[in-house]
Amino acid sequence: MASQAIKTLGLFKKPGIFDKGVGALLPEAYKKFYKEWKLTEPTAVHFIPEQGSFKRDDVTGEVHPIQNIPLPVLYPKEHNFHLWGGEGIIQGFQVRGKKKRRVPHFWVPNLRRSVVYSEVLDKHISVIVTERTINLIQEHFGFDHYLLKTPACDLKSILALGLKRKILQDLQNGCPSYVNKPDKQKEIHDRYRNYLSAYTPDEINWYGYSFAQACRMVQEDINKKEEEAIVPLKHVFRAQLIDQLKAADLEIEENSKYGEPKAGSWLNKINPFGKKHET
Amino acid sequence: MWKSIIKPLNIVNKAFLSPTENVVHQQLRTTYVLKRKTPPRLHKKNSDPKPLRSRHYVYELVKNEELEKKANINVILTTYVEGLGNKGEKVSVKPKYAYQDLLLPGLAVYESPENVEKYKDFMTNPMSDVEAHSSPTAMLTVRSLSGIMLSVVMNKDTHWSLKPWHIKVSFRKCGYIVPEHAIIMPEQEIKGPNMDLENREFFVTVKINNKETVPVRCRIHHWSTEVKDRIPYASEFWKEKVEPIFDEHSSVLNSIPHKAELKK
Repeated sequence: MASQAIKTLGLFKKPGIFDKGVGALLPEAYKKFYKEWKLTEPTAVHFIPEQGSFKRDDVTGEVHPIQNIPLPVLYPKEHNFHLWGGEGIIQGFQVRGKKKRRVPHFWVPNLRRSVVYSEVLDKHISVIVTERTINLIQEHFGFDHYLLKTPACDLKSILALGLKRKILQDLQNGCPSYVNKPDKQKEIHDRYRNYLSAYTPDEINWYGYSFAQACRMVQEDINKKEEEAIVPLKHVFRAQLIDQLKAADLEIEENSKYGEPKAGSWLNKINPFGKKHET
Repeated sequence: MWKSIIKPLNIVNKAFLSPTENVVHQQLRTTYVLKRKTPPRLHKKNSDPKPLRSRHYVYELVKNEELEKKANINVILTTYVEGLGNKGEKVSVKPKYAYQDLLLPGLAVYESPENVEKYKDFMTNPMSDVEAHSSPTAMLTVRSLSGIMLSVVMNKDTHWSLKPWHIKVSFRKCGYIVPEHAIIMPEQEIKGPNMDLENREFFVTVKINNKETVPVRCRIHHWSTEVKDRIPYASEFWKEKVEPIFDEHSSVLNSIPHKAELKK
């Protein structure tokens, strides 16, 4: 505790999700992904950030710093099953006239079902997308390039991150979907191989899971290890008995081999703890 | 009421995170782009932003790029596409058509530097492929011509022998401008007027751009300037099947889809 106090200079540090419970057991690889996913500033989608660090007022000539405070964006749980390409729902107000009261309004992305094709997985996937997603795919010359080049903070949805993990795992295993076409397999692997350099194998295995999923994985791992550690006493005793029996057999064999059974003395026959004969 | 912004605790350098250099320098926006009507209050350096008030949630629409016209994109064809071009040709098409009808079915690939290098040979010499066609619309013309039944209307009173210019005129009557040198007539000469030939079939071959050939079903009709000599009009004559003039034409004529079998 003393060392903790020295680290924080005596100030109380509120424990975060990685400081308590199962979260504390998560590996460094997952923490790195989580940082990239949740704690990185995403690309501005719904507003145009101002460039530069200071600006001068045209009228008064005053200089003010430029502070780009992003618009709060909502991501409903459904977006985890779709590919929204960084878009979200904006909750706010509209003023529809000079003498009108402000009216609450939701700006919702236009969703439609379309197909994306992953070259590494060699699969057409039917998903719900926004037009921005399709445009981004075309800008990156393909779905795989889009996923592999875009950081987790911009992909956002669990579906996109899970697909990215699957693609990275397939690349690691040398594109198993093209097993029957070795030429094509080599071509595809060469095309996307350089993306692997940014990750270690452990990081790939922990990429793209939500915090709850990652905790569940750790918990399941612990449970499995505990189960393996517990051996029923039945099995232990059975093994001991078998050993004893084997030892006894050997003894008898040895005795029969060399003959001469030990002459039983009459003293052996006396059992001092036997049943008392009542007179 | 409002969820406050979760300020990123550690803003990690994104350039460090992304494995390769981001190719998209220009930010793409096809969504609602909004602007605050009232700018939020300034905060001190290295401190949390001040909490947002209700007035900071009044937005104005800057633009909705979904409603704007999209620019064409370039794709490289991996096979001959009717009405577009040969294999290896670079075409500029609308983005939705390109994605749904060319890129997803695998008829084309993106114009990435790697693909440009790969299809370079086809681009410089598009005719190097065996499957190359003379023009993007050549196969469309072939399909169109093989579906028609050409009525060759000849004189009932004066003597004639069938020449390419008769076929050319017949084509022109139904909207096809065919030059005479592109028409290959049947080997045997057809002479008339001969009422045995009335409503009988033969075929001519049309050569498109001196490369693609297509047999066209033709039928002879006799016509007179005298109204009383004219043959009475048979309704929907194109639907009935008739005998060919020459027996050796029957195999080719059977291979052309008949007008009666074609569905609109």
